[in-house]
Amino acid sequence: MKEKFIAVIVAVIFSVALAGSAVAEEINAYMGTSPDNNAKIVKFIKDKTGITVNQTFQSFGEIEARAKAEAPNFNADMIIGCGSPLAFMAKKNGWSTPYVSPGWKGVAEVFMDSKGDWYNIANFSFVLVGNKDRLAKAGYKMPESWKDLLDPKWKGEIVMPSPLSSGTANMMRFSFLALYGDAEGWKFIEALDKNIHHYTRSGNAPTDLVGRGEFMLGITSDENVKKRLNDGYPLFWSIPAEGTGYDGTYALIFKGTKKLATCKKIIDVLGTPEFSTLMAEIGYVTPRPAPNALYGKTLPKYIKLDLGKAAEDKPKNNDIWKQKLRTDFK
Amino acid sequence: MTTKGVTEEMDSKENEKPMLILKDIHKFYGSNEVLKGVSLEVRRGELVTFVGPSGCGKTTLLRLIGGFTDISSGDIILDGQRINDLPPNLRDTRICFQNYALFPHMTVAENVGYGLKINKWPKDKIAARVRELLEMVELEAFGDRMIDKLSGGQQQRVAFARALSLEPKVLLLDEPLSNLDANLRLVMREEIRKLQERLHITTVFVTHDQFEAMAISDRLVVMKDGLIEQVGTPIEIYERPANEFIAAFVGYVNFMDGRVESIDPATKNTVIRTEFGKLEIALEQDDIQTGDDVLMVIRPESVSLSIDCGSNRQNVLCGTLKTYMYAGSIAKCTVGIGAKKMIVDQYNPRDAQQFQNADRVEVEIPRSVHLLKKKI
Amino acid sequence: MAAAELSVKLQSSSGSKVKDFLNANLINILAAFLFLLLAFFLLYPIIMVLIKSFQGPSGFTLQYYQAFFSKNYYYQSLYNTLLLGVINTVVCLVIGFCLAYMTTRGPWILRKPLKIISLVPLIAPPYLFALSLIILFGRNGLVTRMFDLHWELYGFSGVVISQTLAFIPLAYMMIESTLMSLNPNLEESAYDMGASEATILRTITIPLLAPGLLKAALLIFVMTIAEFGNAAILGGRTPFLAPDTYTMITGESDFNMGSVLSVVLIAPCILIFFIHNYLLEGKKFTTIGGKPVASEPRKITPLIKVPFVIITTVAAGAIFVCFAVVFVASFYKILGVTHDIVLSNYLDFTSNQAIYNSIRVSFVAAIIGAVIGVLLAYVIVRGKFFGRTFIEMVSLSGFALPGTVLGIGYLLAFSAPPLKLTGGIMILALNCVFRFLAVGVEAGISKLHQIHIEIEEASADLGASFLTTFHKIVLPIMFPAFIAGFIYTFMTAIVSLSAVVFLVSPGFDLAAVKIFDAAVYGEIGIASATTMKLVLIVMICMMILNYISSKTRLGSSMKKTVAV
Repeated sequence: MKEKFIAVIVAVIFSVALAGSAVAEEINAYMGTSPDNNAKIVKFIKDKTGITVNQTFQSFGEIEARAKAEAPNFNADMIIGCGSPLAFMAKKNGWSTPYVSPGWKGVAEVFMDSKGDWYNIANFSFVLVGNKDRLAKAGYKMPESWKDLLDPKWKGEIVMPSPLSSGTANMMRFSFLALYGDAEGWKFIEALDKNIHHYTRSGNAPTDLVGRGEFMLGITSDENVKKRLNDGYPLFWSIPAEGTGYDGTYALIFKGTKKLATCKKIIDVLGTPEFSTLMAEIGYVTPRPAPNALYGKTLPKYIKLDLGKAAEDKPKNNDIWKQKLRTDFK
Repeated sequence: MTTKGVTEEMDSKENEKPMLILKDIHKFYGSNEVLKGVSLEVRRGELVTFVGPSGCGKTTLLRLIGGFTDISSGDIILDGQRINDLPPNLRDTRICFQNYALFPHMTVAENVGYGLKINKWPKDKIAARVRELLEMVELEAFGDRMIDKLSGGQQQRVAFARALSLEPKVLLLDEPLSNLDANLRLVMREEIRKLQERLHITTVFVTHDQFEAMAISDRLVVMKDGLIEQVGTPIEIYERPANEFIAAFVGYVNFMDGRVESIDPATKNTVIRTEFGKLEIALEQDDIQTGDDVLMVIRPESVSLSIDCGSNRQNVLCGTLKTYMYAGSIAKCTVGIGAKKMIVDQYNPRDAQQFQNADRVEVEIPRSVHLLKKKI
Repeated sequence: MAAAELSVKLQSSSGSKVKDFLNANLINILAAFLFLLLAFFLLYPIIMVLIKSFQGPSGFTLQYYQAFFSKNYYYQSLYNTLLLGVINTVVCLVIGFCLAYMTTRGPWILRKPLKIISLVPLIAPPYLFALSLIILFGRNGLVTRMFDLHWELYGFSGVVISQTLAFIPLAYMMIESTLMSLNPNLEESAYDMGASEATILRTITIPLLAPGLLKAALLIFVMTIAEFGNAAILGGRTPFLAPDTYTMITGESDFNMGSVLSVVLIAPCILIFFIHNYLLEGKKFTTIGGKPVASEPRKITPLIKVPFVIITTVAAGAIFVCFAVVFVASFYKILGVTHDIVLSNYLDFTSNQAIYNSIRVSFVAAIIGAVIGVLLAYVIVRGKFFGRTFIEMVSLSGFALPGTVLGIGYLLAFSAPPLKLTGGIMILALNCVFRFLAVGVEAGISKLHQIHIEIEEASADLGASFLTTFHKIVLPIMFPAFIAGFIYTFMTAIVSLSAVVFLVSPGFDLAAVKIFDAAVYGEIGIASATTMKLVLIVMICMMILNYISSKTRLGSSMKKTVAV
């Protein structure tokens, strides 16, 4: 009797465990914004369309790696938030499904692909953050130019993301290379490396590390800074005199998805002014103009970039990066 | 000449002092009292056996003596010295566990010599002593064997040799024979007894097997529920058990209710009234008075059985032979007397065939029956 | 009529022939089936990793290995990893031994609390310790600030400390079970013969425990060098192979180099696995009779007591403090920055889904793993077919398999049709099944060695078919092994990161990965709260499991077999 009873219990638990949650309209997406921004976007889509988006948090770089590894059998239906390298690569390799969305009518052309292979749902940049308390204690001021970061007094006190895993870091790298030119740019990166404590996996992580006072300075993705300020982290933020770079946050539909119609609905809703407002409130620069939470109405000074070239150069630059920055180990 | 006499006298005085004294020992595990006040003296060179059903506290008592368990209150005195607080390695007692606890990663010789090595004996002396011990247990050829290459009996001997290696004052044996098969047990218990007597080593033996206990011991300590029920020689225990429990524990027994009608002060001839009539016995104990309600302890082998009923002799009861199981040297019978049953062992049953066909039989209750006074 | 009868007769006789055949060969059929499973889900992925490490764009190449061995960086990474493994293993063994010694030989009142403290971290992700170390000893940590200290947590030492704390429970669990299995009379005999505590340890306890200690060492070494959470969070710029492999795959999608790193990681493990097997050859001591019973507390001599008590106190204290810190942190929005106490960390529902997934995956994995483990053990012990030793070796090789290898292997083997398994719950479960199989198999083998084959033969003799015998005789006896496999798989699967992190996909996020992400991202509050929720839920699961198995008569031995 007892054994049977237990068998029944086990069977019940087992079947409950196996039973998926296959109910309403849902899709799987790779989403590369921060975990709480991902959650906000998922909620927005749910509220507006009723569609459930399943996602795991990954950085831009990781989504790129994963898409490359999985192609052409993707484990997701679409991407909501990846960097330009992947968006351009996807179009080139035919991994994306073109769709001209009526929802995006009136948006500036730079925010979408002419064939509709990708849509840029929000631009982001990188900023310098500093810990108020730590800086005050050390008696240092926020650096005013990127070059100031090379001062030996910052040695071991700066964190920035690793371009091997972070799209933000890749953006920083190609921005510096564009700013200074290749040769000088690499020299700058190498010199900066002397002061970098370590490279984080995700582009947002420096904000938290600096916010908690683990390090004095961080070069970090801008879209999360506003939230951290609101949370009460003692942070300074600034854009040094030379300006900052930018990259888009791209959405695209994978080729081969069985839920094309659902994906299209999502692309449509991402083009609405409400969505732009949401993203602007987070701190992004949006396809449909809306007041930016961090910058207000005056956008920062941008370094002139060629995103297409940046995407193409990425593998090469990764190699150079490893070559140059990893040699100082015993 | 005189000096010799003096030393002899001293020796004998020394010999009278008990080797081991247990004084009012209590042991609690949490709130559970497993020993409820045990006192005992063990003489020099004596083999004392703790016997009792499982859970009676006999093994705990042995472990207390060995020092593996702390006592809650009371005293343990070994050869005049209070050893309550000494850890096992500083006590002059050696234990032989039920499972032998031989070190499986050592050879026979290493096992036997372990204690010697620990006590920093020189190598050559260890070798000599180990050889001597192995000869003693007849394992001289096995010194280099690993333990798992030995039979159960051989392992037993190694354990015994190891325990004896340091010539302890008291040897503690915890059910040492229980892992052996029946025949080997008989052989081994004889050997242990012989060695013990030869070495004149004070030994405490624990077993749950009452027959083994009786066969091997000088004295038995029968325990139940954390208390000593009776201490005595095997004969005392068997023939004159202190109570019903002991009577039944040390062998099969038929109990018969009765009341003492009269005791002849001169001959001690005692008449007891039972539901089957009057029985007459020769009283050998002092604690019984006329008018006492008693329980007669009738051992199956003390009863004699004969065919035919109605001889009307004294102490003879008539009954029906219910079963008769012939087993060579012995026949085990059940006789129904009135509504009761009596077990009778018939030794050397030459008339087995007749009995197998018999129906009515006579049982003769011996005159040497032990009486237990019933508690009111 | 006659024809019909005949055909019926024929049918039934051929039916019974099939039955006879099945009965006679069932064990071989079972073995073949299990071997296929092993080959498919264990060997094939590993081979894929091997192939990938040699496979350039134009066929066979050594260029990736060349790249590995020509770069100082990788040497440094390998060196750090091995050094971490060795230090960690030694320290964990020592501390685990002290803890286990105190909980099996020490005073009664200490045993239970110490045991709980030592075991609880098993159900928390290993990198919990990295989190609490940052909170306490980071550059702006509570302790660092309080005493104005200047030390560097980020780097080798930080990783060693957190990784050691993380694997003490595993060391403890394994050593405790070997200590429990040691007949206390052996030590008591030595004690009785005049040996002091230290001498007993040196001459009896440690030599007899050597096989168990070696096994524990192997497992800890392998887990340590493969689990990358702590290294990724606290490593700073100190390279270790496991996080490097992780970045190589997830960041750069360089499967060739990733495979090479994996193979390099696996090499020392396999080496140690063989050394371990070689050393244990013929060293399986058997002791006679006597049930394993708890040893009575000893009067431990100060010589042993003092260091043991110090080590035990420090270790248990450290574990306790780390948990307490995470517990406290889970209620703070940002511990050490703002002082609002909030519940929002607990109300983060995305983590609930992940916890639910984790439990589902672990549960499914544990059931499948325990069943396969028991069957494999049976086939290995009772089978008489060719290749039995090979099957044994393969199924026990899980001990020596770093998680990253099997993670990448699964990604390589099962991400393209027709074998596409990625993107679901099954690949996660299967991965856990075959990674943690070894423990269940071993527990099963050791249980089966205790059953005399005569019992089975007696049953067969009485006319029982193979299946009946297996069902009625073998299964009940092996139930404790089943439970052991189940619990080990369940507990390890729920917190392990190193393999599943490669395999999670949208909708199938796992708690361990979620916590890692939050920790790496800096969401300490969320990470802490999710950890606490996970610990609580797993505890409840364990209690239910405990209840169920204590309801079955055989389950009473479960607690003893929880470990290997």
